[in-house]
Amino acid sequence: MASTLPGIGARPDQTLALNMKLLSHHELQGFGGIGEGMGMQLARDGRRILWLAHESAPKNFTAVDVTDPRSPRVVVQTELPHAKVRSNSLDVVGDVLAVAYQTSAVNTRPAGFDLFDISTPEKPKLISHFDASGPHSRGVHAVWFVDGEYVHMASGAADFQPTHPSDDQFYRIIDVRRPSKPEEVGRWWMPGTRVGDSAPPPPRHPQFDSGFRAHNTNVFPQRPDRAYVGYISGGAVILDIADKSRPKAVAHWRYSPPYTGFTHTVLPLLTRDLLIVSDECVYNDGKDWPKLVWVVDARVEGNPVPISTFPMPPVGAFAREGGRFGAHNLHENLPVPGSWKSEEIIVGTFFGGGVRAFDVANPYQPQEIAYFVPPAPRLSRAGAIQLNDVYIDDRRLVYTVDRFAGGLYVLEMTV
Amino acid sequence: MHSPSPTRDPLAGKLPVSLITGFLGSGKTTLLKRLLRDPGMNRAAVIINEFGEVGIDHELVASSSEQTTLLANGCLCCSVRTDLQETLRELFIRRRAGEVIDFDRVFVETTGLADPAPVLHTLQTDGMLGAQYRLDCVVTLVDAVNGLRNLDDAPEAAKQAAVADRIVITKGDIAAPGAVESIEARLEEMNPYAARTVAVNGEVEVAFLRDIGPRSARAAAGELERWLAPSGEGHPEGAYLGRRARAGGHDAAIKSFCLWFDQPFTWDGFSAAVQLLTSLRGPDLLRVKGLVNVTGERGPVLVQGAQHVFHPPVTLEAWAGNDRRSRIVFITRNVAQEAIEAVFAAVGALSAQSA
Repeated sequence: MASTLPGIGARPDQTLALNMKLLSHHELQGFGGIGEGMGMQLARDGRRILWLAHESAPKNFTAVDVTDPRSPRVVVQTELPHAKVRSNSLDVVGDVLAVAYQTSAVNTRPAGFDLFDISTPEKPKLISHFDASGPHSRGVHAVWFVDGEYVHMASGAADFQPTHPSDDQFYRIIDVRRPSKPEEVGRWWMPGTRVGDSAPPPPRHPQFDSGFRAHNTNVFPQRPDRAYVGYISGGAVILDIADKSRPKAVAHWRYSPPYTGFTHTVLPLLTRDLLIVSDECVYNDGKDWPKLVWVVDARVEGNPVPISTFPMPPVGAFAREGGRFGAHNLHENLPVPGSWKSEEIIVGTFFGGGVRAFDVANPYQPQEIAYFVPPAPRLSRAGAIQLNDVYIDDRRLVYTVDRFAGGLYVLEMTV
Repeated sequence: MHSPSPTRDPLAGKLPVSLITGFLGSGKTTLLKRLLRDPGMNRAAVIINEFGEVGIDHELVASSSEQTTLLANGCLCCSVRTDLQETLRELFIRRRAGEVIDFDRVFVETTGLADPAPVLHTLQTDGMLGAQYRLDCVVTLVDAVNGLRNLDDAPEAAKQAAVADRIVITKGDIAAPGAVESIEARLEEMNPYAARTVAVNGEVEVAFLRDIGPRSARAAAGELERWLAPSGEGHPEGAYLGRRARAGGHDAAIKSFCLWFDQPFTWDGFSAAVQLLTSLRGPDLLRVKGLVNVTGERGPVLVQGAQHVFHPPVTLEAWAGNDRRSRIVFITRNVAQEAIEAVFAAVGALSAQSA
């Protein structure tokens, strides 16, 4: 047993599981590549419909009836107009679905977001389109829509010329109280990233420059005057949005370099004065390792102090299986009916490392308490599973999706 | 379906560890072979040793090498504390890295001469192990041919039987007439809180040995009963009942009894009593396990320990019935029930005064 030889590592064809049990798996009619948009609708007829944004064209979004988690069923799957746009992100409030559109090049449409009426899930009806296209804009990468009133998003804009082409997506607040006529009410960008700013452009990350731009822009009704923003190369930002027309930075935590960049999600644990900050791995084969999930002490808002990181699965065992391996999305305690909320158990996806649950009851020593790593999906170009996003419903069922081919996995967490 | 909890269940999700112990020649290897061939055991990890015994033979390891890890380090009893610790840690790390199967339970076979207490301590004191594993049960094998003599002559054998949650009597088919009955009587005297069964040709119902310890903070009453008093002791009336030490017969040093307490404890009061006991008589508290009514806790607090080492207490979700008395099983060596009662009474009186 006590061998000194290095481990031979996980095999991409095997399933690894601890305290998570597979209830069902759905390949989504052959279009099993899902981005980072997952939302649950509690439909009026009693069904639970899980809405999923695809990672890339040709599909836009897919809705899956998961009322019976052992037998999920696709109720609708929609198309994108062309292959230079992807939806990637969505959110659901009641019977309204917001879907992001990001283009692969500037000056391309549609770039922005759509609002759909999904009161009949089989037949989503377009309510309106918010246009965010422009000569320097690739549209919307991620939306946060939880109160039915405002869409918070990472987006470019027609009037925004970044100082660097990668810095095109900033934080925008769109009022959708009149869903047929969404209107921008506020925005914030990192000083120096817009042409004309008095601040100089920020220095680029020497190896892993993914841009100074917003990714997740989380606002919780329990704390309506704050936006928690992952700003990719710019680290974690907390904005005072008491006046939505003038967001102000109140905290800014930057840790790259020396780390490898790409701050993705800033999830506040509001009753505990903690932030859970996740990175995103964006390179294959462990090139940008370590991509971590950080626990940050936020008792003094303006001085965030990192106090621990989630214990990561062994890089030697997973990084060279194929594709990416490292942190990405977290279940974000969405403040909507149907979503599970926990300030002690945090669940995230780690691409080749699968989906993993951590107990942060002791924030100084997070413990891994459950994981599930499916085998490589058939036809996946990565050669290994690439779990991309996770959503947990109020039955404590875990839904997780593969980035390329595997589709949807429904799991029971037994811990 | 339970209402979903936003917190971790302190018991569910930890990998159960069963300790298989028994004196030299009692048939541990035969029993393990039997266990491992049960279809429900196809994801078990086994930590064995080959000292002084036939060992899990190569045929078995070969035939089920995907399921077993052979610890070929000789005498487990000499170096059990560090080696077992490292083995359990490394097994978990390798499980996580996908190098071994996703095992769902662990069997640890001790050597025949092993004192099981240090192995129990390993699980209780190692933080990483405690986070990933829980003790499910101690299974002790006693052979009907030599068992009675071993219990008299070998302190290790007596201790193994004393700490058991389950006792398997082996070799009944080749023992002298009446041998099984004599050994049953003796074991009933030493440790009536362990359920017993008689193996026939090495065959034991696997269910008898599996899933003994509470598996969830929502454990049902039956599950707790199965762990705490599997031999079917009823609920006696009043406090301080359940005296089980038998009069006459052997002048047995090992005694078992269950104490019942009508009044809830404060946690400070209870832990003070246990600390006093362990500091005075730690080595002689062979096994302690119970459910304690603690003021302010939503359900009973599960406690268990061996000698001076106690597991972290676990508060269960709710009481299973109306009987909310504390009940604690003690298996002791040369410590009378009255002495333990006196400690609880004294600490209780003191804490009542200070309250």
